[in-house]
Amino acid sequence: MSEELLTPNADNELTGHNYDGIQEYDNPLPGWWKMLFIGSIVYGVLYMVYYHNGQVDRSMLVEYQQAVAANLRLQFSEIGELNPDRETLLTYMDDVKWSAVGESVFITHCVSCHGSNGEGKIGPNLTDDKWKNVKTIEDIAKVVSEGAGNNAMPAWKTRLHPNELVLVSAYVASLRGTNPGAAKSPITGEKPIPPWDESQN
Amino acid sequence: MNATAVPDEEFGPTDSSSPEQAMRHETMESFRYDDKITRQFATATLVWGLVAFLVGIYVALQLVLPQLTFGLEYLTFGRLRPLHTNAAIFAFAGNAIFAAIYYSTQRLCKARMWSDLLSQLHFWGWQLVIVCAAITLPLGITQSKEYAELEWPIDLLIAVVWVGFFGVNFFMTLIKRRERHLYVALWFYIATIVTVALLHVFNNLVVPVGLFKSYPIYAGVQDAFMQWWYGHNAVAFFLTTPFLGLMYYFLPKAADRPVFSYKLSILHFWSLVFIYIWAGPHHLHYTALPEWATSLGVVFSIMLWMPSWGGMINGLLTLRGAWNKVTEDPVLKFFVVGITFYGMSTFEGPMLSIKAVNALSHYTDWTIAHVHSGALGWNGFMTFGMLYWLMPRIFQTPLYSKKLAEWHFWIGTMGILLYILPIYVAGITQGLMWFGLKETGQLMYPDFVETTQILMPFYWMRVLAGILYLSGGVMMSINFYRTWMNRPKVYEEPVYQAPALSKNYVDDPTPQSELTAVLEIGKKIDVWSKMAWHRRWERMPIYFTFWVIVAVVAASLFEIIPTFLIRSNVPTISTVEPYTPLELAGRDIYVAEGCYNCHSQMIRPMISETKRYGEYSKPGEFVYDHPFQWGSRRIGPDLAREGNKQSHFWHLVHLRDPEALVKGSIMPSFAALEKQDLNFRTIPDRVKAASYLGAPYPEDTLENSIAIAKLQAAEIAKAIVAQNGPEGLQDKQVIAVIAYLQRLGIDIYKTPATVALEEEKTAETIEATEEQK
Repeated sequence: MSEELLTPNADNELTGHNYDGIQEYDNPLPGWWKMLFIGSIVYGVLYMVYYHNGQVDRSMLVEYQQAVAANLRLQFSEIGELNPDRETLLTYMDDVKWSAVGESVFITHCVSCHGSNGEGKIGPNLTDDKWKNVKTIEDIAKVVSEGAGNNAMPAWKTRLHPNELVLVSAYVASLRGTNPGAAKSPITGEKPIPPWDESQN
Repeated sequence: MNATAVPDEEFGPTDSSSPEQAMRHETMESFRYDDKITRQFATATLVWGLVAFLVGIYVALQLVLPQLTFGLEYLTFGRLRPLHTNAAIFAFAGNAIFAAIYYSTQRLCKARMWSDLLSQLHFWGWQLVIVCAAITLPLGITQSKEYAELEWPIDLLIAVVWVGFFGVNFFMTLIKRRERHLYVALWFYIATIVTVALLHVFNNLVVPVGLFKSYPIYAGVQDAFMQWWYGHNAVAFFLTTPFLGLMYYFLPKAADRPVFSYKLSILHFWSLVFIYIWAGPHHLHYTALPEWATSLGVVFSIMLWMPSWGGMINGLLTLRGAWNKVTEDPVLKFFVVGITFYGMSTFEGPMLSIKAVNALSHYTDWTIAHVHSGALGWNGFMTFGMLYWLMPRIFQTPLYSKKLAEWHFWIGTMGILLYILPIYVAGITQGLMWFGLKETGQLMYPDFVETTQILMPFYWMRVLAGILYLSGGVMMSINFYRTWMNRPKVYEEPVYQAPALSKNYVDDPTPQSELTAVLEIGKKIDVWSKMAWHRRWERMPIYFTFWVIVAVVAASLFEIIPTFLIRSNVPTISTVEPYTPLELAGRDIYVAEGCYNCHSQMIRPMISETKRYGEYSKPGEFVYDHPFQWGSRRIGPDLAREGNKQSHFWHLVHLRDPEALVKGSIMPSFAALEKQDLNFRTIPDRVKAASYLGAPYPEDTLENSIAIAKLQAAEIAKAIVAQNGPEGLQDKQVIAVIAYLQRLGIDIYKTPATVALEEEKTAETIEATEEQK
């Protein structure tokens, strides 16, 4: 603390006010206080002019759209637009790099019903050979996109980018045959379906 | 200060502080001060303080041990968190400022309170409000607006107590005063009383739906705007200005030092009062609020920094030459730390209002740490300091134990630090985890619960901190009680004398400018800056109050009018439709359970948010939301696009036992919803109120709302059975909640064609039900 703050003698005169014994000094405003106050007002004016001048759009939505574009380029410039067909799904099922994207989507949206390893909770087990509404690998993409069982499985087409849809479907396909702990028992009544690369519509 | 009784020796019965009065030999009037009311408010402060701290610890514990609700719906976090905030703000801090105001106003005005009856009505009325809050909030009776949760009958009571009892009594005391000029503490009290009244009334304009339920007249974006205009300024005018007034009286008294700068008092008072009002929209950065409004929130918050610090420097610099006293006196220790926390949180506030910082901090514990540095540090410690100073005076006996007060100070300080430091870390950690994107552009922590699980060690530290802070409160209670035990049999009520204010007062002459060689305008500014004009205002309380009102109203209207009138602020979305009768009933349960305390419904336009939750929220999606449910903290994930994201059955199981589906979830069980019947008979009132507020329901819906609701409930119940769920849920509350959750955020994906189809379907079902009749 500076000397000035500690010495009581550096004050101007008292104002002469006395309220229940409380007096007041007639000290001027501290210079740094005044300058910062004026500075903050100048900042405020400049801020409003910079962001809301009616000429250049610097809004958060523009910023967001740019971020979306950059994110899509980062994710998908290499693979272009994917179609939910058999070839594509089989390709990306075994692709380590892009499978990670599918996994991320899966953890974000699917684990609360299907379990963190696809072992099944309220939703069915995705690791065994018995499937509802799915006979071929393309059916997975269809169910993810459109939903099934009267919204027991929700439709994701409005929520996911088409590529995310394909990649998460490919990731789901890749779960089959893994052995997660505490898996839900297979669906009763359904017949086992053939392996993905054998089944054809 | 030593801990002996010093009943107002500063000016004796024969004092007449201004020479001009003494010269005129005016007749002296005799009066006594009412200290009973101060004793009452001081006691209430202590009692409710302990309650607020205890409930705080309990809800903090629930975040680490969610099973502590014991399955009782009255004890869930969503219902008790508002009880904690209301108890801390309105019961603890509220009674503290009343104690301060009643004690100091009488002495600063040299007058007893105008009416002892009004003082008593104020005291008991306010305690009644608090008791009503303590009963209704656990029952789920709430408006769901933060710090304005109490329902409309209690709001009316608050208005009567605040304006009719407190306000009238205070202003009449000002008018009947015997001190010519108003001291700065009184300016702050004036600003408090008029602005809180204004905020309270305009944020609580509602359409009642029965005695315990109402819908605000504002919807969505506008409701959010009004709420945070209120919420921000409740902090300003309930937790800041009255405490500054408290500081300006009790700090110079305790330090026995003149206030540092009268000029600074003037400037920081007016700038604070004028600028504070504008800053509310900074609570809504990146939301669907129009961006011009949030930008105003940024710049006025930055401008608010120095006006706030004006109070801090005027407080701390008043202690120049008295720092040696601070080492000996617990009262001054509390004040110094309190003012320091005020300085820190009023620096942090403007910093958090910068959009880039807010993007990280919003919805996280950073905000919680910020408010607790203000509440525990500034409000709490200023209150404790004041109470320790008051105890020997109001009980007219030495303080029972100065040593215990010292212990309170140190344990309280440790409690604050142990609270805020881990919670800052928690907030920043969670914010960064939400933001985190992998190199491939995907979320780094896609599973939300992972970002809450990591906070558990910090939450445990907070529990410990709360226990420390509460222990301090208990020590103070012991001190208070033992001091009270030592009180005299009969309290002395010294008689004071002062002349009444004469009518023919002449102001000091306006000072002349000493500047030479400047333009005339320069001289005028120089004269103006000597503030003689303000000295004149200080002897005219009504005129002074008028300008305070102008300052707060003008600033408010500059933001409120455009928010309501500019249509482009809320672009219409044609597919967004009103809630169905069942969804409306479900929404009201969602509100009553206080879900907004943990779940936001506002997805910000940021990659990390839209990847996790879906398309960002649009202003037009909330036009039927009375009240808005955007929330302010994500202890759980955002729900703005929860509709159709899970099956009905999933929601049923999840509400019953969240951990069964989300491992590590800290959401309490809402199993009671599955047992309790939905009261279908109240639905027509709800639908009619919503219709009155602008929801375009067709005539059929208004007439057959019960039948329509039952039909939708039956459909959902059937679907749950089809998904292997239990039977017989069609008349339970949980069905309405699921109906509401499944509706959230799906309307923007509809096409006009599907909407038409749905309408047709509804018409058909109505026909079908009518045939059934």
